[in-house]
Amino acid sequence: MTAVLDVPKPRINSSMLSQYPGRPVCFVGHVDKVHPTGKMFKMLDGEGKAAQVELNDPLEEELSGIVEVIGVVSNKGTIMASTYNILREDKGIAFDLELYNEALKVIHDYPQHYPFQVAASE
Amino acid sequence: MFMENINFSLNIRKIDGGNGPVRFRLMMSDGLHTMSSFMLSTQLNPMAENNRLAPNCVCQLKKNVTNVLKDGRRVVVILDMDVIMSAEDVGGRIGEPTPYTDGDASKHSAQHIHNILKGFNRDFGKKAPPALPATPGGGSKVVPIASLNPYQSKWTIRARVTNKSSIRTWSNSRGDGKLFSMEIVDESGEIRVTGFNQEVDKFYSLIETGKVFYISKGSLKIANKQYSSLKNDYEMTLNGESTIIPCEDSSDVPMVQCDFVSIADLEARDKDAIVDVIGVCKSVDEVTRLTTKSSREVSKRTLSLMDMSGKVVNVTLWGEEAENFDGSGQPIVAIKGAKLSDFGGRSLSASFSSTLMINPDIPEAYKLRGWYDNEGHAIDGESLTEVRGSGGANTNWKTLADVKTEHLGHGDKADYFSCTATVVYLRKENCLYQACPSQDCNKKVVDQQNGMFRCEKCDKEFPNFKYRLILSANIADYGDNQWVTCFQESAEAILGQNAAYLGQLKESNESAFDEIFQQANFNTFVFRNRVKLETYNDESRIKATVMDVKPVDHKEYSKRLIMNIKKLAAQ
Repeated sequence: MTAVLDVPKPRINSSMLSQYPGRPVCFVGHVDKVHPTGKMFKMLDGEGKAAQVELNDPLEEELSGIVEVIGVVSNKGTIMASTYNILREDKGIAFDLELYNEALKVIHDYPQHYPFQVAASE
Repeated sequence: MFMENINFSLNIRKIDGGNGPVRFRLMMSDGLHTMSSFMLSTQLNPMAENNRLAPNCVCQLKKNVTNVLKDGRRVVVILDMDVIMSAEDVGGRIGEPTPYTDGDASKHSAQHIHNILKGFNRDFGKKAPPALPATPGGGSKVVPIASLNPYQSKWTIRARVTNKSSIRTWSNSRGDGKLFSMEIVDESGEIRVTGFNQEVDKFYSLIETGKVFYISKGSLKIANKQYSSLKNDYEMTLNGESTIIPCEDSSDVPMVQCDFVSIADLEARDKDAIVDVIGVCKSVDEVTRLTTKSSREVSKRTLSLMDMSGKVVNVTLWGEEAENFDGSGQPIVAIKGAKLSDFGGRSLSASFSSTLMINPDIPEAYKLRGWYDNEGHAIDGESLTEVRGSGGANTNWKTLADVKTEHLGHGDKADYFSCTATVVYLRKENCLYQACPSQDCNKKVVDQQNGMFRCEKCDKEFPNFKYRLILSANIADYGDNQWVTCFQESAEAILGQNAAYLGQLKESNESAFDEIFQQANFNTFVFRNRVKLETYNDESRIKATVMDVKPVDHKEYSKRLIMNIKKLAAQ
């Protein structure tokens, strides 16, 4: 779990899930449906595509709105979550998920300008 | 399609304009066919609202403009119409008209209407064609103004007075005298006319602006362009033989002769140029009063004018014109002889020699009305005039490095741009000065050292002053930095405190004062800046002033960055 938090995690959307099997990623999306067991929930990314998130322990709170999930992509294409952040709607400026998706595409289209690695000083 | 433009209004539908004026859509019939793509121009709205224009009335369209929409459909905007026969008198639908489709031959429609109306025992005989203007007394025939020259003396012109000056008197070593001048116009052109001494007595009270006169036997000479910007190589002087007689039949003499410049082209013109403009008055401010250098009070009002180029320019009116101006209903405003200035980039001013016309009866006005009612009202327009403190829809985004590489401010006029930058240094020494406490005066006062403070501009002494800010700051972005000067409003926005409080703090609590500057440092804002190259004693330096400071709108910033990245990628 802590290993996941120490490494750089690329931000991805649902379309990119298949490119990162077994890798830690950061996924931001809108909560669509929570499974009755509270151990799984479905999210929609900025393009409206779905992603399935699985948890080790069941949810202890109501999950809604926009959430940032950090976890590892499973072979099935789901995200095994280590931790999550709820981006609260009542704080700060409203999060624009579509704009975030546009930015995501730019980052992935031009990896030469957005290098993704741990800083050399480490 | 409609030969004599006599139509029946079959049906009227009111369309709510949302945040614009109410519009009326009419279905018209010519007895044979109906067409529902007629829109009533907003200035005729009262006709529908007062029920003068009611279903089944007979009307004659006097002026209309046909616009083709993006999908090819045509819309006819009715700019002027008369109700010839009210709906009650008609008493019901006439004929059995069917919806018109393109390709229907309706040559017979006019005849058809006449046949129907004959039954009503009304005579709609055609108006006799206007007779050629006959000169009174059967004198020489009327010639166009454009043909006047110093080598012919027996001529008569028929022209409308567009501008009449007041009587000016002078007194010099050679004696006394008086004169008046006027500008007249006919279909062919315009010319300036001056009358001296006896001619002033003879003609001054007879001449009325807006009226048409027969004028004959004036002397022509080369125009002195210093006194007039009219387009004529010659100007006229009235002499003992000149006659001026009022003309009754004046409807076909134009009201004014203008050479309109498109608002978009104003940018290319030099400052101080005299131009004619016409546009729609999009908005108008309240009248304000200000005091001139000679301590005279004068009224002032600013309106924004937009034309079909989609560009907008601010026009300033003065005096009575400003007070009496009514901008309601987005009227068409035309100004002949407006002065172009580089204030705020480009702006116009109606001087005492300009002629202001509201909804003039000229073709350009009708074209504008039709365009505005159809599309223009929905356009925001790009303004050529930068108003202090406002962002403007057409922000010119630059980076601080661009200022140097693009030599911004090096031209004749100042350059304005917006940038996202971070405050990296604030000079707290000498950022406050003591200013005149009077409402509209910000001049620095002189401390008389006796408890009184003197303002040279107001020529008064005061027992107090108000603190005002002039803040020197250095702002930076990823590429470069720039020294800028921030005045009151922008300085207060950056420091997060008002000048009065800061002044007080500086006197009483130095460390709290310093703390404010510490906190204000390293904040990022969107700056709207003005840059201009200034020369002091052989040294030229770029001076940058902050016009406006705003917090960063991250959403807008992100969108803009993404757009720029995509643009760069496409190159």
